[in-house]
Amino acid sequence: MEIRIKDLTKVFPGNPKKGIPDTYAVDNLNIVVPDGQLVGLLGPSGCGKSTTLYMVSGLLEPTNGEIWFGDEDVTDLEPEKRGIGLVFQNYALYPHMTVYKNVAFPLTNLRLVEPVLGEDGKQLMNVDGKPEFKKRKLTKDEIDKIVRETARIVQIEPYLERKPNQLSGGQQQRVAIARALVKKPKVLLLDEPLSNLDARLRLQTREEIRRIQQSTGITTIFVTHDQEEAMSISDKIVVMKLGVKQQEGVPQDVYNDPCNKFVANFLGTPPINLFKGLLKDHKLYIGNDCVREITPEEVEEAAKLGRDLNDQEVTIGIRPEGIVIDERAPEMFHFHVNRILTMGRDIMLVSDHEQKLSDTKFVIDAFTKVSVGDVVCAVKPHKCFAFSLADGEPRLI
Amino acid sequence: MAPEKTAQEKTPFIAKAKGFVVNLFKPKERVSADAGEKNNWKAWLYLAPCIILLAVFTFYPLINTIAIAFLKNYDYIQQTSEGFTLENFGVVLGLVGYTQSGDMVMRWNCTSFRSGGVVGSFIDAGGVVRDAYFTMDVIKYAFPNTLIITFITVPISIIIALFIAIGLNSIPAFHKALQTIFFVPYVTNAIAVGMVFAVLFDYQGIINYLFGLGSLTWIDQGAPAWRAMIALCVYIVWHSLPFKILILLSGLQNIDKQYYDAAKIDSASGFKTMMNVTVPLLSPQILYIMITSFIGAFKEYTSVVGLLGKPSTDGGGTNNMYTVVYYIYDMVKGNVQYGAAAAVLLFIIILIFTGIQFKVSKKRVHY
Repeated sequence: MEIRIKDLTKVFPGNPKKGIPDTYAVDNLNIVVPDGQLVGLLGPSGCGKSTTLYMVSGLLEPTNGEIWFGDEDVTDLEPEKRGIGLVFQNYALYPHMTVYKNVAFPLTNLRLVEPVLGEDGKQLMNVDGKPEFKKRKLTKDEIDKIVRETARIVQIEPYLERKPNQLSGGQQQRVAIARALVKKPKVLLLDEPLSNLDARLRLQTREEIRRIQQSTGITTIFVTHDQEEAMSISDKIVVMKLGVKQQEGVPQDVYNDPCNKFVANFLGTPPINLFKGLLKDHKLYIGNDCVREITPEEVEEAAKLGRDLNDQEVTIGIRPEGIVIDERAPEMFHFHVNRILTMGRDIMLVSDHEQKLSDTKFVIDAFTKVSVGDVVCAVKPHKCFAFSLADGEPRLI
Repeated sequence: MAPEKTAQEKTPFIAKAKGFVVNLFKPKERVSADAGEKNNWKAWLYLAPCIILLAVFTFYPLINTIAIAFLKNYDYIQQTSEGFTLENFGVVLGLVGYTQSGDMVMRWNCTSFRSGGVVGSFIDAGGVVRDAYFTMDVIKYAFPNTLIITFITVPISIIIALFIAIGLNSIPAFHKALQTIFFVPYVTNAIAVGMVFAVLFDYQGIINYLFGLGSLTWIDQGAPAWRAMIALCVYIVWHSLPFKILILLSGLQNIDKQYYDAAKIDSASGFKTMMNVTVPLLSPQILYIMITSFIGAFKEYTSVVGLLGKPSTDGGGTNNMYTVVYYIYDMVKGNVQYGAAAAVLLFIIILIFTGIQFKVSKKRVHY
C-alpha cells in the first residue's frame, strides 16, 4: 500500500493574548512511501516527525493537506478504519493483560464481513437484489491461530502468558510490534521504537524490525531522531527540521549528497567538521589552505541547479573520513591534532583549527602513522562540501 | 556418571551448612544497631503526641469494648460487673432471653413465640408455662437493614461515581466548576442533608409531586420499611458520591493517554475501552473505595438520624429502621455490654468482608 502525503500541515494554535504565536509543527509536507518499503522520518526533537506519524495514524487531525493510502483518501477517516498498526514510543502495552491478551485484543474488536451463502452454496441476495453480507466476530480458535502465528514472527512465543512488566524492554518492544501486526494492517507506524532500549539491544532490535518488515512486506513509516538507526534500516529517509522537509532519498545518497548544512551536519557519526571558509576562483579555502578545487564539470552542474559559485564567504564541511594524511598532496590542509583516540579498526584525531565552527574530529585508518601536533593532509573532494551563508544554508558544491 | 551427579548436588548443601556454622560463631556486626540506638529516644519523643492520643482515644476504648462485651451486667458508672460471660452475644443475637423475674432462658427451650418472636413461652422445671423476653431488634432489623444498605448503596454509588468521574474527565471545559459542584455534598453536614431529603420525601414533598405519586408516604409515620429504605439508600448514595468521584478522578488523570490511543487504533468501542482499559487501570482506586465504603456502609447511622430522626416508621412500635450502629448507640444508655457485644460482632463481620475483598482483589486488581 503506497502512502502519499500531500501538502500536510499541522498548526498548533498559540495564544495571541499572551503573545504566543501559532506553532507550525508540520509545514507543507510532501512524502511518498512506496509500497512495501520502510521509510525513516528523521530529525531532531521538535521537528514534527511524530506529529506527522500521528496524522498518518489518524490520532491527530491535520490542519491542512491530504493523506492517501493507495487510491483511498484517508485524511478524514477514523484511525480504526485506516487499517494501520501503531507502535508507541513507550509501547502502551496494557499492563493488566498478559502478552497473549495484549496481542489478541485488536482481534477481539475485529468484525469479519462474509457473504451469506444459501443451501446451494451460492451467495444470497437481499430484497434490493444486492449480495447479502453478514458481520461476525472471530472465533476463539481463529484468534488463537493468528496470535500464535504473529508471536512466532516476532519471536515472543515463550512469553505469551506473562505480563508486560515481566518482560525486558526488547521483549516488550516485540510484543508491541506483534499487537500492531496482528490485524494484518496495510501500514505499520513506529514512533521512536528503539528509544527506550539500551545500546546493544537497540542494534539487535533494529535488525529485528527490519527482518519483520521484510518478511511481512508491510509498508512502514519509522520515526527516529537517531540518524544511524534510520540510515541502517530504511529504504528511504526523510530528513525534517522545524516541520519542514529538508531532503529525502536513499540513505547513502542523502549522506553523500546533502542538500544543505543542516542535513550534512545531522547525518553521520561523528558529525561533519565545519569550518569558516572562502570560495574564490572556484577554489575552496580554509584560512590559507586550498582544500578543494571545483572542476569545470561541477561548475556546469552547479549552474544547472542554479547554485551560485561566485566568490563569497562559505561554510566548508569535511566528513570525518574525508582526509588522507599525505604530505605530497596538491591541495593541502593543515590542522593541529590534540589527541589520538584508538578505536580498534580506526583511529580518531581530536583536532583543532583556527577556523573551526564545530568540534573537529577525523577518522583515519589505524595503520596510518600520525602523532600529536601539526598535521598536513589531503582532502577527498567528494567528502568536502561548501554551504552558502544565505538563508537555509544551501549547499553550493 | 550417576554418583558424580549426586556428589555435585550435595556440594552446595554442604557448603551452605559450612557457611552457616561459620557464621554462627562470627561476632555480629553492630554498626547499624549502635547508630540506631543513640537517637531512639528522639524518635519516640516525636511520636509521643500521636501515640498518646491514639492510646487514650482509640486503643484503650477498642480493648475496653472487647472486654465489656464479655462482662455480665456491666455497670458503666461504678465499673463493676458480675464476671465473664458469653450471654451478651446471646442476647444481641436473640438467643438468650430473660423472664420477668430475671431468669435466663435459651431460645431453643421455648415451645412457642408471640409478638414477632419477642415473647417466648417455655415450661419451667416445675412444669409451669412461663414467658421469656428476647431482644429481636438486631437479628430482625439492625443486621438485615445494615446488609441491605451495604449491598445496595456501595455497588450503586461506585458505578454512578465511575460514570460521573469518566464523564468529568472527558469534558475539560467545565472540569473545575463541575468538580466543585459534585464535591458539595461531601462538605455538607449529614444532618442538614437529611433534613433536606426529609422535605423531598415528605408525603407532600417534591418526589411525590415530580413522579405523580399522590401523597405516598416514604418516611412519615406508617410508611412501610422498604419505602423508607429506598429513601434512605437514595440519600446515602447521593451523600457518598463526591468522595468516590474525587478518588476515581485522580486515578483517571494518572492513566496514560496512550492507552486510549492504542485502544482507538485497536478499534475498541467506547464501552469496551472502559471495561478493558479504564476499569482495570483504575482497579487500585476502585478497591480502595470499595473497602472504605463497605466499612462506612456497615457503620451507617447518621443517615438514619438525619432522614428519619428515629429508628422507626411505624410510630415507635418496632425499631424497624435500626442499623447495627444505631442499636449500639441506643444501648450505650444503660445496656452498654450489649452495645459492646454488637460492636464486636460488627467488627468480625467487617473483618470477614474486608478479608474476602482482599482475597478477590488479588486476581482483579492490577497495581
